Amino acid sequence: MTDTTAIDRPQHTDPRPGVAARRKRTPGQLTLLILSRYGTLIALALMIVIFTAKAGTIFFSLDNFINILSQASLMAIISAGLTMTLVVGEFDLSIGYAASFCGVLVVGFMALQNLPEAIAVALMIVIGAGIGTVNGVLVTKVRINAVIATIGIGTILVGLCFAYSPFPIVTNIPPAFSDLSLGRPILGIPNSILIMLVVLAILWVILNKTNLGRKMQAVGGNIEAARLSGIRVDRIKIFAFATAGVCAAITGILLSALLGSGTSAAADGYLLEAFAAVFLGSATLRDGEFHIVGTLVGVLIISVGFNGLSIFAAPSWAQQVFSGGILILAVGLSTLARRYANAS
Amino acid sequence: MTDESQQAWLQVRGLSKQFGGARALSAADLDIYRGEVHGLVGANGAGKSTLIRCLAGVHQPDSGEVLIDGEPVEFGSPRAAESAGLAFVHQELNLVPHFTAIENILLGRDLPNTLGITRWRASRRIALDAVDRIGVDFPLDTKVSELSVGERWLVMITRALAQNAAMITMDEPTASLSDSESEALFRVIRDLAKSGVAILYVSHRLDEVLDLSDRITVFRDGRVTDRAVRGELDKQGLIRAIVGREVEQASRAPKGGIDRSVPIFEAKHVRDLPMVKDVSFRLYAGEVLGLGGLVGAGRSEVARLAFGASRLDDGGFEIKGRAFKAKNVAEAVRQGVALIPEERRSEGLLLEKSVDFNMNLAALRRLLTVPWLPFTSSRKARSRTLEIIRALQIKTQGPGQHVGRLSGGNQQKVVIGRWLIPGIEVIFFDEPSRGVDVGARHEIHEAIRGLAVQGVGTIVISSDVEELAMLCDRVVVLHEGLVSGELTGDDVTEKNIIELSYAPAQELQGEPA
Repeated sequence: MTDTTAIDRPQHTDPRPGVAARRKRTPGQLTLLILSRYGTLIALALMIVIFTAKAGTIFFSLDNFINILSQASLMAIISAGLTMTLVVGEFDLSIGYAASFCGVLVVGFMALQNLPEAIAVALMIVIGAGIGTVNGVLVTKVRINAVIATIGIGTILVGLCFAYSPFPIVTNIPPAFSDLSLGRPILGIPNSILIMLVVLAILWVILNKTNLGRKMQAVGGNIEAARLSGIRVDRIKIFAFATAGVCAAITGILLSALLGSGTSAAADGYLLEAFAAVFLGSATLRDGEFHIVGTLVGVLIISVGFNGLSIFAAPSWAQQVFSGGILILAVGLSTLARRYANAS
Repeated sequence: MTDESQQAWLQVRGLSKQFGGARALSAADLDIYRGEVHGLVGANGAGKSTLIRCLAGVHQPDSGEVLIDGEPVEFGSPRAAESAGLAFVHQELNLVPHFTAIENILLGRDLPNTLGITRWRASRRIALDAVDRIGVDFPLDTKVSELSVGERWLVMITRALAQNAAMITMDEPTASLSDSESEALFRVIRDLAKSGVAILYVSHRLDEVLDLSDRITVFRDGRVTDRAVRGELDKQGLIRAIVGREVEQASRAPKGGIDRSVPIFEAKHVRDLPMVKDVSFRLYAGEVLGLGGLVGAGRSEVARLAFGASRLDDGGFEIKGRAFKAKNVAEAVRQGVALIPEERRSEGLLLEKSVDFNMNLAALRRLLTVPWLPFTSSRKARSRTLEIIRALQIKTQGPGQHVGRLSGGNQQKVVIGRWLIPGIEVIFFDEPSRGVDVGARHEIHEAIRGLAVQGVGTIVISSDVEELAMLCDRVVVLHEGLVSGELTGDDVTEKNIIELSYAPAQELQGEPA
């Protein structure tokens, strides 16, 4: 890729970016480039090495890895949904609240309305899609800024959730429901990990192997070019929001299964973690582009980090500092990666 | 009014400016005296705007100098130009809509204050003094958003006066004014000139320029080509000066055998006031149709109407005899009409994506692995890309190369390649060769002509008359929202296009109507 650009340009006077021949990079620039692409992976590896060295088999064991992954799985699902909205160049700040809302309602439908488990779960996924669709329509058709629209919807969901049940719902939950998260049907791997793998695989295929995915990337990459290519930009965006809604609902359901209760605000914290994970992911392997594999790497970094903090019995304030710090670090890295992509 | 025995107030000497490979302005000289109205005319891209931007401190000239009262000055920033007494009023009026007229007049100026607290009465006096000088009443305490366009111009001019401007440049002031508003503005201009302010009047409307200006400077191809004092030139003479020498006939292959019985695309009395008044034209298979005219004549607006970006007041479009109406671009594409936008990099391409990705954006439906599954076949995408790279001779390393790394001409070919899809009947090209070098321009023209030969309807919108003359079999020229003439075959020359751009055919004597 490096040495043949000259063929394209018989004239060498053209100063516009993009046609200029690739400059030679200084060692410093090269290091930064490597860091901006592989920094997250290096960080993940470093964390694993350091934790192993310090904590030995408490950290480096199959049990602990499964533990980390099952904790990571809920975050991964909601983050993957968020990735979809960021791919089309939008935002969704309602996902945490939507997950909490769906978590309470799914338990309530079973415990208070006596709906069968399968129907309650299916209903919540439809409701999740509905929430996302409303977000998408507000952003594309009513043209409300995504930050405002999704925060507004999220706050409404908090209120509705409280109206539905001001107290945590803990009784009358069918025992089979808990198996959604905790059951280990294959090789002793918890259900939540399997569900995460399926969800991520589906989203990866959509994004990378289908026309829809190409259109999503086009909309996020250059909305005007996409529109002029005859792509129905609004529909694509609404689809992305709906996907985020569905993923939030799944996370909410799995969390309630894990906790064995329907508690309001239980999943709210996923919002910032998801953002951190997705932005870390965008600085992984690609130049600031949002993608599913990257998001998974981001989720793992955060989960391994939290796991390490709890192994070393870090005080609770350290967890807050870690959460906030990683979010800022993630967005910073992602911005850096994008700037490098544009400069080179 | 003008005292030419004295030294000019503003002297521009040998100003040159180059953008990339293109010379936008070469060694331009200009003298402006206090109290004169100075007309600046020239075709699109003749260098007027570049000169004005250099004076306004937006561009830095490559060479040459500007003198005020004989002293060399440099305009490193718009602020510097402003404090030297130069004010600029153009169509995108820089007004804050929810401020009142007075507040807008005082905007950007240091106001009298005590310890940072504005003394409004004294401030208001400054504004009122300026209003007195222009001698026209307009509502001062009304929000600008509620004022008419004409009144907004007056606000801008008053602001310039409140900042003690010695010269006010007005760029196409009457383009969106009604006749009576224009008249009022002309009175203001004459009064201001009488009071010693210089007015640099830039306009395509030659009648106005001739009527108002004490002196006129004509630009062509980045150079000052003519200077005239009031009375020396009439409209015909001015048009001749703008057109300049007859350029040698373009090397356009003579085309016969275009079947002009059934149009593939037709605009029927399209109207969208105020920009498009009544535009009709027909496009036939096998020909390249040009849409010419000055900026603001309604060319791009017609294209936007076809794509449903704006609503039609009246009239309609037809494709092969059936009515064509699109609410948005997606619908237009489905019905077989595509647009290749003027802003290639910002509206046409995803620069950080591959040639393959960009080329196949509109063809995705044909690239499914199997028709009933939603998956894209990367093999089909690649082979389509390779086919088009070969057909359009795009110079690229291959389908995987980032489009941002291609030259402008090859980028444009990628956008053209995107529309080589069965079912696309008409393609609008908006300024297809802007910003590419001569060789690439030739190749883009070849590609467009190739499409036409294959029976795709091609409509080229261009401000570049040379391009229209070289490329088009037929040119429809628009003038202020109306078709001012249609040129076919050997009549498609730069001179004819420019003449029709300035006036409808019936106004020009001895020209083919």
